[in-house]
Amino acid sequence: MTAADQSSTRQPPQALPTLPHSRWQRVTRGLRLFIRRSPLSAFWGCVAAAIILAAVSAPLLAPYEPLKSDFRAMSKPPDARHYFGTDQIGRDVLSRVLYGSRASLTVAIGAVLFGTTLGALWGLASGYFGGRVDIVSQRIIEFLQSFPDLVLAMAIAMALGAGIRTVIVAIAITRIPFGGRVIRAVVLSLKEMSYVEAARGLGASHLRIMLRHILPQCVAPYLILATTHLGVAIIIEAALGFLGVGIPPPTPRAIWPAPARKP
Amino acid sequence: MYSYIVRRLAFGALTVAGVSVVVFVVLRILPGDPLVAIFGAEGFTKLSEAERAHYMAELGLSDPLLVQYLHWIEDIARGNFGRSFFRAENVAEMISRRGPLTAEIGIMAVILSWIVGIPVAVISALRPNSIGDHISRFISIVFLAIPGFWSGMLIVLAALFWFGYRAPLGGASLFSDPWANLQIVVGPAVVLGLGQGAYIARMARSSLLEVIREDYVRTARAKGLSRRPVLIVHALPNALLPVITLSGILLGFVLAGSIPVERAFGTPGLGYAMFTAVSERDIFVMQNLVFLYAVVFVMLNILVDLAIAWLDPRIRYR
Repeated sequence: MTAADQSSTRQPPQALPTLPHSRWQRVTRGLRLFIRRSPLSAFWGCVAAAIILAAVSAPLLAPYEPLKSDFRAMSKPPDARHYFGTDQIGRDVLSRVLYGSRASLTVAIGAVLFGTTLGALWGLASGYFGGRVDIVSQRIIEFLQSFPDLVLAMAIAMALGAGIRTVIVAIAITRIPFGGRVIRAVVLSLKEMSYVEAARGLGASHLRIMLRHILPQCVAPYLILATTHLGVAIIIEAALGFLGVGIPPPTPRAIWPAPARKP
Repeated sequence: MYSYIVRRLAFGALTVAGVSVVVFVVLRILPGDPLVAIFGAEGFTKLSEAERAHYMAELGLSDPLLVQYLHWIEDIARGNFGRSFFRAENVAEMISRRGPLTAEIGIMAVILSWIVGIPVAVISALRPNSIGDHISRFISIVFLAIPGFWSGMLIVLAALFWFGYRAPLGGASLFSDPWANLQIVVGPAVVLGLGQGAYIARMARSSLLEVIREDYVRTARAKGLSRRPVLIVHALPNALLPVITLSGILLGFVLAGSIPVERAFGTPGLGYAMFTAVSERDIFVMQNLVFLYAVVFVMLNILVDLAIAWLDPRIRYR
């Protein structure tokens, strides 16, 4: 990297001599800057994009039907016809992994969208209003957080019975406290800002202040939180599946329970 | 300090009470009929109305919810954890027989996570952004991403197929048969310990890098001490405070993580009992085990808070 390069990355963008004009140029420039600054993040971003792409286009990519058994090829190691081999009843493992990643991603995204968002909105309200509302909701959040994630998710999934929606709800409930805690802390500092006071002085209602003035500032911490918890949600989903309270058997999954053993 | 302890314990008691309500709501009140859970959807439809009412009354499920809740609390206070629907053993016996194994696994895993995590963090922090730092961060990310039960299964299969080895079946206590006990415990402890070690390494690295910027560290450097002793003798003890908090929380997560890991290894611990209760849909056992896990989790958090307050006087007065 030359000295000229380094100085250009350090300067704030508006001080650059030539501002790119079209939106496309700006986007590609931003991307290039990002890749140069953190090549590792860019690489793993591509990996994540590839996984999502593989899940979305599973029907195009999968060489076989994920549920169809081929009784002439059972428990086969990987070879040219089945790249990942086959399972005990002759289903192609590669196809099952591709389709299974759909279920995992659906559950993770669903759980985070539902749970973290609910938690974040709760945290927003509780932090904004403060006082008794805040004390009570902090206690409830503490009660929810007193369980190890997996234990609570297992109990909920078991009580509600198996199904993809149940798993989403079970994982989502364990995500609520995290959203609540983080966003509440952000809101507590935001609501003291003078622009919020100004909005109140202009006669804005509580709802308007919360949604128009405070919520936009919470988006960045929310996104960080949500992406971290996507990973956690995927691992919990896998563990639930492994313990036999995940998505019920006919749906192909990336992780499926070991054959049931009668105790 | 004493007032801090009392305050913390009072909050802990409140939390335990709240936790019992959450457990009760989740397992008894959420939609989902306990009889369906016990008999299965098919078995449930075969029962007649009278039979259903009979079973509900026998299980104490037709009482008002508040009465059920109070009965449950009363039973727990008396040390009566009920018994399984499907097996003769009562839950209290099960806990006292299987609990120690899981506790051993948890404690060993946390000790191991320190043994692995702290040196890795020190290597990283000595030269941030060097190749060694990048490699150790990469490895810790990998261990964060791999579910413990998966690597556990690989270890079991590798040991079985390559060496024909299998950990002894059946529980063996630490005192009567330490060798067999170690063989049972070591697999899950290593798997969980490495996973937690990754968290510890990341936390310790960032907290070390923060402490290094403090004035007293600069003073020590200015005195002429070289980088390594300053980092290990002066910076490390202060950098460990957040790590202690984290490992207390992680010990709770190790307990939860040991459920699938014990299932992968076939370890006869409490985690396996939890798995059995879930797969048999044994709600009363499940209810008590979930409550037990949560209480242990809360107590661990209190212990960590007290330990931190003892180590760092600034916190007591906050």
